Amino acid sequence: MRRKMSSKKLDIKQKNATSKTNKRTKEGKARGRAPFLFLAPAIIIVFAVLIFPILFSLVVSTYNWPLSEGAGIRRFVGFGNYLALTQDSEFWNSLKLQLGFIFIAIPIELLFGFAAALLLNREFFGARIVRSLLLLPVFFLPILSGMTWRFMLQPRYGPLNNLLIKLGAPEISWLGNPTTAYIAIIVQDVWRMWPFMFMLLYAGLTAIPQELLEAAEIDGAGFWKKLWSVIIPLLMPTILTSVLLRIIDALRVFSEVYVMTEGGPGSATMLFSLYTQRQAFGYQKVGMASAMAIFLLIISIVFALTLVRKNMSLDVLEEKAGA
Amino acid sequence: MIYFHWENKTPKEAIMKRPMLIVALEMVFAIALVGVVSAQTINVLFWDDAYPRTLMEKIPEFEKATGIKVNIEILQPPQVFTKTSVSVTKERTDYDLVCVDEGNIPLFASLMLPYDQWGPGKIYKKIDPNTVTPAMLEVGQWDGKLVGLPINGNLYVWMTRKDLIENPKYKADFKAKYGYDLGVPQTFQQMLDMGTYFYDNGIVSGGFGPFNGGPAGVFGEAIFMWYSFGTHFIDWINGKPTLVVDKAKAVEGMEFYKKLMKIAPKGAETMAHVERQAAFCTDPKGVFTQFNWPAQIASYEDPDKSLVSGKIVYSAPPAGPSGRFSIRGTWAVCIPLATKNKDAAAEFVYWWASKEIASWLVEKNTVPARTDALTDPQFAKTKPWLPAIAESMKYAVARPRFNEVAEVQDIVKKYWIMGITGQMPCNDAMQKIIDETKNVLKKAGY
Amino acid sequence: MDRRSRRRKRTRKFLINLVVAVVAFVILAIELYPIAITVLNGFRRDIHILSGQPFKLSQLTLRSYQLVLKNAGFRIGMRNSIVVGLLSTFISLLVGAMASYGIARFKFKGRNSLAYSFLVLRMLPQVSLVIALYLMFSDIGLRDTISGLTLAHTSFNVPYVIWLLLPFFTAVDRAYEEAAMVDGCTRQGVFFRIFLPIVAPGLVVGAVFAFLNSWNEFMYALILTGVKAKTAPVAINGLLGGETLTWGQACAAGTIMLIPVFIFTLGMQKFLIRGITAGGVKG
Repeated sequence: MRRKMSSKKLDIKQKNATSKTNKRTKEGKARGRAPFLFLAPAIIIVFAVLIFPILFSLVVSTYNWPLSEGAGIRRFVGFGNYLALTQDSEFWNSLKLQLGFIFIAIPIELLFGFAAALLLNREFFGARIVRSLLLLPVFFLPILSGMTWRFMLQPRYGPLNNLLIKLGAPEISWLGNPTTAYIAIIVQDVWRMWPFMFMLLYAGLTAIPQELLEAAEIDGAGFWKKLWSVIIPLLMPTILTSVLLRIIDALRVFSEVYVMTEGGPGSATMLFSLYTQRQAFGYQKVGMASAMAIFLLIISIVFALTLVRKNMSLDVLEEKAGA
Repeated sequence: MIYFHWENKTPKEAIMKRPMLIVALEMVFAIALVGVVSAQTINVLFWDDAYPRTLMEKIPEFEKATGIKVNIEILQPPQVFTKTSVSVTKERTDYDLVCVDEGNIPLFASLMLPYDQWGPGKIYKKIDPNTVTPAMLEVGQWDGKLVGLPINGNLYVWMTRKDLIENPKYKADFKAKYGYDLGVPQTFQQMLDMGTYFYDNGIVSGGFGPFNGGPAGVFGEAIFMWYSFGTHFIDWINGKPTLVVDKAKAVEGMEFYKKLMKIAPKGAETMAHVERQAAFCTDPKGVFTQFNWPAQIASYEDPDKSLVSGKIVYSAPPAGPSGRFSIRGTWAVCIPLATKNKDAAAEFVYWWASKEIASWLVEKNTVPARTDALTDPQFAKTKPWLPAIAESMKYAVARPRFNEVAEVQDIVKKYWIMGITGQMPCNDAMQKIIDETKNVLKKAGY
Repeated sequence: MDRRSRRRKRTRKFLINLVVAVVAFVILAIELYPIAITVLNGFRRDIHILSGQPFKLSQLTLRSYQLVLKNAGFRIGMRNSIVVGLLSTFISLLVGAMASYGIARFKFKGRNSLAYSFLVLRMLPQVSLVIALYLMFSDIGLRDTISGLTLAHTSFNVPYVIWLLLPFFTAVDRAYEEAAMVDGCTRQGVFFRIFLPIVAPGLVVGAVFAFLNSWNEFMYALILTGVKAKTAPVAINGLLGGETLTWGQACAAGTIMLIPVFIFTLGMQKFLIRGITAGGVKG
């Protein structure tokens, strides 16, 4: 078995570009095969599964491709779909709403998560229980979370709505008004995902050695100074990673929002992800949906090459970790 | 962690082997547990509501009688649409039987086996299409062929609170204020008067129960109002769907619905089926009157789920200035061309649409499409909605159906709701609907 | 003097912890309010849940739970969800940790591009991928199978795990591994025996979220499975009534669905604590 695995790795190595050649590093050993042994399974699984779907999306984005064969012939339209998208006000609206969603919800989640991580990073009575239970919203099935929020915000029988009215809020139909509906979906997301930030940041915090903090204290540093000069710099990779992970998930948010508002009222909560789904499954226009996906792909690549590379490239991460 | 246990083998070996083993074991386990694959199996795709769920109770009888095992996938209507689109082509299908909503028949017609080519049936004989109520039968017809058997009698039926209209105090009060007798509303004006009376006096939470949920449903309400005020929306002219709407009349219809929205329960702007049911059935005050799909009746009449079971009087919808109309929304059951189990699938349909099963379904408060089951005199007393549905069928109209209807439904839903909630003047909303619908039709090449 | 100042320090610490505990529980209560409502509604009849009437003890009933547990579709769904969840977590964590290590530790040409391509692949909307996956799986017979769905889930979990583990991995001092390799240990040995225990907290987080991503996943499960391999979210979807009132059952089913994840996390938390008390990352 071992020999079979090794020869498989050799084949892959030969298949890969010869730019990945042997180099002796300061670690003092020839690393020839080593990286590939570690990387090969991931590369095989992910690319084998996803390569066809990506090519499919690329090709189909240049076609008028109805989801069901019953709709008739699938025609090549070149850049027709992309052109149609640029002229589609719903498309730009959905992009705007999605970006707004990301830029409002995620910083709030980060703030809450960070504050909670700092607060709960000590062994008080019931600490472990609180830290576990706090994660429940993250575990909650998204479609159920959306339904619960929809239920809570209903006039007449929604408990949250009744509570708000008792506190003096005007009696409005939260999901029936475009602005409040958008706020509601953001609140739902913040509620659900700030404990995710908390968990990641907490795990990062526990990895900070006590000596560094004690050393800062001895130097006379107060809470804020400790925070800014010790904790945040050390935690920066974790902070950036958690924001990144949230962004890639927020780009795909669907069930919760769909179940709460179906994209309405009007198109007030028709996020990019919802609109893509609407095109593919609602209007049966897989070509358009694929064009939207490729569009998102391009944006993601630009995002990765600029912001991520600047703040999170592997060299930067290593620098920040002081390794 | 993992590495502790594999001292003898290299970690890689041990771990590489394990996932495969687990996966292999799981496949065996999964297959074994779900059941032995019997001689003949058919895969059926149902939509999710009380009717198919009720039918599922009876299916073991079919399986025993015929030896055909029925694998059921039951999903929400939009997902039924998606899965049918993805899974059924001329050459390949994951299902031997699919349920198709009437609006989607044009899309799938070319992929389905025409009814006249279905087998004669072994244990259950082929159903004569004429046993299906005529108003429903045309649902399954496209391009001159019957491509599926309509299987439920779903069209607007009107619900009104019996206890409210029979209450002597309200009767007297209403007569004094409005000059005519309280009763089941026969016209839109009566509906508005009575609803307003009950709403203004705080007797109900809503004088009228609108529907502002899924696009197809809102589209239904819009078409209902437009027809009732004298205009069609899209008609097939010269083989093309064409916009024929009379804007002025359509705006009248919208304005009237706007008035009805003012006496609707709080939160009506987003009321879908669940919220409507909550308002009508579980709210202590309830709603005075509204349309409903017969599929919901089972829940509304279930004393475990509804405070008003037994207190509902059913009728055909009230008449607008241009007449009485009811919107049809029937499901048909179709056999994909590519299936390898045509006869078994057909057998299942023949069993399902037989008089015996149809009567059993009626007994269980659901509404099949067989005329003889629906008009059976033994049910008229115990199932008061049946005569109402039969009456409604006289006025049945369908929503326009063509391939791009989904986009048009979205447009209508968006601006209809904006108009009726006052976010946009009805005139402007209607103009938007007209302009954008024209756009969609043009882009589709009509 | 010494003893008194020490005692003062201890009481101060005790008071702070007390205040923190109170604040923590208040935050918890607010945060869990919607979940508490859902759990509660699982024990009430629909007729009460949607009536807007205040809760009374007499409303409690086990009916919804009985109906949900009797529902064969839901049981099959739960079982499949657990199997697919555990499988895809195990595979993704192993494969992802190895890949993350490869990226963190080795400077090869194309290292950044590889890392970014994993990231970018993870950002694609499922909608456009699922149709192609369906066609692929149909052709090779993976449709409606546990292994097929596991593979699909692993395809989005592996990049996720890789990027989640990167900061944890790059933060580890190379000294430990170098020392071990000087002693004659192979790379693989170092990875499994030395490195992984050190990054246990990160692995725990990775495992929890990989499991969660798979557990709650809906779109792939809907399109790529049928009767045999359907998962719990697909089964629950039917209870979230388009047409009928089954709110109590939906809440009951949702509560049941929280349990396996919660147990998984509690179990993993033990590793988290062990990882910390075993000496932490540095020193």
